[in-house]
Amino acid sequence: MEIFNLDIAVANFGPLLAGLLMTVELTLVVIVLSLVFALFVALGGMSQFAPLRWLVKVYVEAIRGTPLLLQLIYVYYVLPEIGIRLDSFTAGVIALTLNYSAYLSEVYRAGIQAIARGQHDAAAALGMTGPLAMRRIILPQAIRIVIPTLGNYFIGLFKDTALCSVVSIQEVVFTAQILAARNFQYFTLYTVVGVMYFSVSFPAARFVAYLERITSRGYRRKPIAVKQP
Amino acid sequence: MSDMPARAAITGAAPLPLREPMIEIEGLHKHFGALHVLRGIDLSVAVGEVVCIIGPSGSGKSTLLRCINHLEIAEQGRIRIDGQLAYRDEIGGAFRAHSNRAISAVRAQVGMVFQHFNLFPHLTVMGNLIEAPVHVLRKPKALARQRALELLAQVGLADKADAYPEELSGGQQQRVAIARALAMDPKAMLFDEVTSALDPELVAEVLTVMRDLAGQGMTMMVVTHEMNFARQVGSRVIFMDHGLIVEEDTPARIFGAPREQRTRDFLRTVLDR
Repeated sequence: MEIFNLDIAVANFGPLLAGLLMTVELTLVVIVLSLVFALFVALGGMSQFAPLRWLVKVYVEAIRGTPLLLQLIYVYYVLPEIGIRLDSFTAGVIALTLNYSAYLSEVYRAGIQAIARGQHDAAAALGMTGPLAMRRIILPQAIRIVIPTLGNYFIGLFKDTALCSVVSIQEVVFTAQILAARNFQYFTLYTVVGVMYFSVSFPAARFVAYLERITSRGYRRKPIAVKQP
Repeated sequence: MSDMPARAAITGAAPLPLREPMIEIEGLHKHFGALHVLRGIDLSVAVGEVVCIIGPSGSGKSTLLRCINHLEIAEQGRIRIDGQLAYRDEIGGAFRAHSNRAISAVRAQVGMVFQHFNLFPHLTVMGNLIEAPVHVLRKPKALARQRALELLAQVGLADKADAYPEELSGGQQQRVAIARALAMDPKAMLFDEVTSALDPELVAEVLTVMRDLAGQGMTMMVVTHEMNFARQVGSRVIFMDHGLIVEEDTPARIFGAPREQRTRDFLRTVLDR
């Protein structure tokens, strides 16, 4: 039985940390892209133009009905056969963004539908057109509602990026695989990787919980309590 | 239209719409599925008139108001606002719906206040008041703010501009909602049971604001259960039941000597509480 080898851990910490940074970078890029893309998907899904609604439905169901791993492999290995050749990072970003946007669009949709009809009525009665009311009245309230849910999805995303090792993105798991193939120190290397994931995702989860508390608090700006002398 | 008589002179006068009509409704029909909610409404509201609509729940009062600014779409009939055909154009005898933009433009001329206030919770009171003037009427922000402060003073909430709606009482929220509608400088105001969701002690402050507004000559349609308000402020009272206007007359005659049995029955139940 191997034991944790501190020398190995220290010696490989640099490359693993570089891998972690790649993981974080990948996560952040996909967060930004999917936040925007999912919103358009959600709005498309509620469009009055039926073909657009169908298209969104097909996309969302196709993504939700197949594994993310398969989607990654598909974008990286199958698309080149029809002439779309992507570097591994781009392929990973595209697959993850398409995957998460399908789920996040449903989150947005739920948030938008949670806004009371009276808000639509009030906006309309003030002469606001549908798109204006959506942008100024409905979405700001809906997004506030879904912030904690989005946060939880992004913590999931952070861990799902590990799947990108199959398209040879040099993220932390792929880095560990390469290192382990050389020195066979599986226990040490993968423990370090685990600790690295945890040390990012645990604070992130606490932060999401904090967001959950402040977004449920309503719109009151709490006055800062001043201690009496 | 310019030499508008003072409200006091109108109240109690014969309900003859001698002045120019602001809202004209002809043969309005509306269904919700199989339910025939409005069964042919004809009504004309003159400039500066305060028309109070009373009647049992389900009689179509609110639906009538909502049809006027197209929150509900009537299947039949026509509505004119200030002489302009609202929501539909008549082209060669056939009706064609206005574009969404044109409908919004019409709505911007008619203010509406709702039972549940429907203030925008993510905006401050000031934000609520300037939202539509700035983004619909394209009014400069400074001008909109100035007007908003005047209106807040008018409804007695000058010190609440920076508060969020949920920091206010129901009565205060409803007064903000009235100010928000007024910020569009509407030609007429629709009030849909605006005191029904309020605690009894908060009703008076809202009615006072509405009374002041009527005194300034605003054209108003008021769906209400406040019989005293209808009696004292209404220039005309309309009793609706089952999607029809059963009786319309001056408040004095509706409350003093209603002609229709159904009106009498209704008034007996609400006034004997």
